[in-house]
Amino acid sequence: MRFIRKTRYEQDLALFRHGGQRFWYGLLLLVLLAAPLLLDRFYLGELALVFIYAIAGVGLMLLVGYTGLVSLGHAAFLAIGAYAQAYLLVRGWPFPAALAAATLLTAAVGGLVALPAVRMTGIYLAVATLAFAVIVEHLIMNWTSVTGGFRGMAVPAATWLGMDFTGPTAFYLLCLGVLVLVLWLALNLLRSPSGRAMLAVRDSEISAESMGIHIARTKALAFALSAGFTGLAGGLFAHKIGYLAPDAFTFLISIQLLLMVVVGGLGSLHGAVFGAIFIGLLPQGLAVLRDTLPPAVAQLPGLEPGIFGLILILFLIYEPLGIYGRWIKVRAWLDAFPLYRRATHKRQKQYLRTERLQ
Amino acid sequence: MSLLVAERIGVSFGGVRAVQDLSFAVEAGEVFSIVGPNGAGKTTIFNLISRFYDVDGGRLLFDGADITRLPRHGVAERGIARTFQNTELFERETVLNNLLIGCHVYRRTGLVQDLLFLPAVRRQELAFRRTAEDVIDLLDLQHYRDQVIANLPYGIRKMVEVARALCLKPRLLLLDEPSSGLNPEETEDLAFWIEDINEELGITVIMVEHDMNLVARASDRVMALADGALLTIGAPEEVRRHPDVLRAYLGD
Repeated sequence: MRFIRKTRYEQDLALFRHGGQRFWYGLLLLVLLAAPLLLDRFYLGELALVFIYAIAGVGLMLLVGYTGLVSLGHAAFLAIGAYAQAYLLVRGWPFPAALAAATLLTAAVGGLVALPAVRMTGIYLAVATLAFAVIVEHLIMNWTSVTGGFRGMAVPAATWLGMDFTGPTAFYLLCLGVLVLVLWLALNLLRSPSGRAMLAVRDSEISAESMGIHIARTKALAFALSAGFTGLAGGLFAHKIGYLAPDAFTFLISIQLLLMVVVGGLGSLHGAVFGAIFIGLLPQGLAVLRDTLPPAVAQLPGLEPGIFGLILILFLIYEPLGIYGRWIKVRAWLDAFPLYRRATHKRQKQYLRTERLQ
Repeated sequence: MSLLVAERIGVSFGGVRAVQDLSFAVEAGEVFSIVGPNGAGKTTIFNLISRFYDVDGGRLLFDGADITRLPRHGVAERGIARTFQNTELFERETVLNNLLIGCHVYRRTGLVQDLLFLPAVRRQELAFRRTAEDVIDLLDLQHYRDQVIANLPYGIRKMVEVARALCLKPRLLLLDEPSSGLNPEETEDLAFWIEDINEELGITVIMVEHDMNLVARASDRVMALADGALLTIGAPEEVRRHPDVLRAYLGD
């Protein structure tokens, strides 16, 4: 068990709580930086995809996990980022400028969507965002001059100042760098007033308002930020898949993104990353599993989504806090060994609930 | 000049006239209690002041300025803080984070500064933290600083809510049934704290309260209501013996 002696308020503002965290996260980063020396290009590509999912996951986590707004339309933001990136590169924009512009454009669209959307909550908001995603899907299909319609469009190579980011190692490192940047931004947000305003809106709108927090503005900012991060992931995703077509951004992708934050663990950045690892690697795991299963089972249609759904249901029943929640419990068990009490994490029912205004 | 003036305010919900034609004035520096049987409109008055409801008629003046049409988040900026009858805390956050959210009206940084955690944000965080720690010291919440609200007992939550309101450094504090759910000892402490808040911090307090002993001990003046209408305003003892008040509570 670790006890931290606190002598200065700055300690609570630090990104790492103690030396141990700094060591382990540093080590993790070193291993990830060294990975290109050890892994072949297939696995590097898979890891890059996990990073891209994690970037989008952080974006969605800000909205769902920290502001308490559910979106079923994040595939649309991914698509807007991806198409903007491809379109700008075709127009001859330099790679970093295109990526930044794609991010900002998606954030702006997110802010616009938020204007009507922040008046809704819960299931109504989910349906509204779903409708938005459907609209974007149709736009992509029919705005042929920009998106290439059903034919799709090829994504130009990501080159800048003679550097080519398209190669497996370079692209992997690019995605890793962007993920670290996004995590840093999100951590900063969460230790400053803007992020706390989101937490406040999530937990109690009426007391957030009586603390002087502008609810609509906070929600709109959360939407814009979330869309921006997802758009950034979309810009990278465009390079990952190389060729954009409407069927790359269907409703299923939105569901997958939402599952990612739920399975990972709502309300934690760890959760976004764990969820991304889960979503990113599950298809590979299932492919391996398929080889070992008897053919009659392995060839079943819909096996993959079925297992996916099963895992989700198991999580919702047994571990609503997701992979991160499980991780915390394992840590607590190790910390307290051999004195761990089984009731430590026993779920309690709360009978105390305010009748809400509004 | 009075700090808060209500001029003939009223609000109805359908056919129910929750508050009708009510006028009162709260002087700066006093502890002003509102009492009355259930459904008298006590909490409704708070909700009118914090703008959760719109008045149907009349005006509310705070420090001479009309606050009847203020946006809801603007009320805190004017220096009015409140607590809620059944506590409305940010359940999944720590006590400290709840108090820091209470400092929100003093924030001067924007989103971009926050995202980059520039030095200005760090300085501001430290200033907020000092404010929060002062309040923690005042209300003896040191033990609970890093605990998540959902794990705390009710009595502590009530105090955390008062603490969060104090982080606003308000000029007017609205306490909605501060003693409900507290045991006699905690209620005793509460009386002292209300005194401290009022005298040391110089905050004007309006409280809705059912515990008549607490009301008698802590308040300078008491307003009694029944069915949304004023019965009487006066010193605690006078109000307690007023024939209309006795009739409202005990019947004829």
